[in-house]
Amino acid sequence: MIWVVVPAYNEGRVLGAVVEELVARGHRVVVVDDGSTDDTPAAARRAGAVVLRHAVNRGQGAALQTGITYALRRGADHIVTFDSDGQHAAEDVDALVAPLLAGRADVVLGSRSIGSAEGMPAMRKALLALAVVFTRVASGASVTDTHNGLRAFTRAAAAKLDIRLDRMAHASEILDQIVRQELRFEEVPVHVRYTEYSRRKGQSSFAALRILADYVLGRWMR
Amino acid sequence: MTSFQWIAFVVLGISFVITLALTVRRRIAPRVGFAWGMLWIAAAVAIARPELTATVAKALGIGRGADLVLYIAILAMVFGFFAVYVRMRRIESDLTKIVRELAIRNAEEPEEKT
Repeated sequence: MIWVVVPAYNEGRVLGAVVEELVARGHRVVVVDDGSTDDTPAAARRAGAVVLRHAVNRGQGAALQTGITYALRRGADHIVTFDSDGQHAAEDVDALVAPLLAGRADVVLGSRSIGSAEGMPAMRKALLALAVVFTRVASGASVTDTHNGLRAFTRAAAAKLDIRLDRMAHASEILDQIVRQELRFEEVPVHVRYTEYSRRKGQSSFAALRILADYVLGRWMR
Repeated sequence: MTSFQWIAFVVLGISFVITLALTVRRRIAPRVGFAWGMLWIAAAVAIARPELTATVAKALGIGRGADLVLYIAILAMVFGFFAVYVRMRRIESDLTKIVRELAIRNAEEPEEKT
């Protein structure tokens, strides 16, 4: 059974459509509402998702770990993480899980570099290129994309994961743990769609500095 | 004795008595109480005999006694900030665990399609 974990913070406007698409493909969906003040939880339940509510906002990393822990308790065989703002495509989930089913990998990471990105601003492109170089050096994982919300884990791999960086630096932390736990990973091309909405809702480029600080401090304070 | 010294001794004296009382009643760890007690005594000595800090400063190659006190104060503050930061991180991570456990226990099933 595939469980798709969708962390969401004030995404009521687009979340319903995102969840419906996933449910229509037969996936179990758990939306982790990270203390939203809009109708995110109601929209998620209407669209057919289990909803876990963080009483207070704890960040995307924290929300992902909550969803993963829950999916494991519900007996998930495969766990996929999926962004709530509509930038991912539901049909990519099957492509992501395929290497797990074939037993080739423990973790599959979606990559927009070998895949495609639509409407990505030039600034974001440059920043991501930098992030990839930094991640390769810091974690030693030879990846072509980082901070992509689309990932898939086998049950065993997900159980080994322990996301402690509550905010946005979890993406680098996950890669670190993949390398340290010696999990076999593979990248799969995915399509990322930057819409007007996702650009406005998403992280500003300055957030990169905070992510970097979180990550460095997190590694050092472990 | 100057009026500043009088005020300082009263404040330090009260701080010392409070520290002592808290330590005796086990409200703070003996180790912590001892450290604070020593700090109050050191401050009192430095205020009563300012020339002493000058002597220590000279021995360390620092010009004035006041500079020595300033440097120590800054170091103590940096250490204090760091200790608070570490503690805050721990509390934040504990908070996340509580929020997570609550969220999972109160999982809401999807609405039935009609």
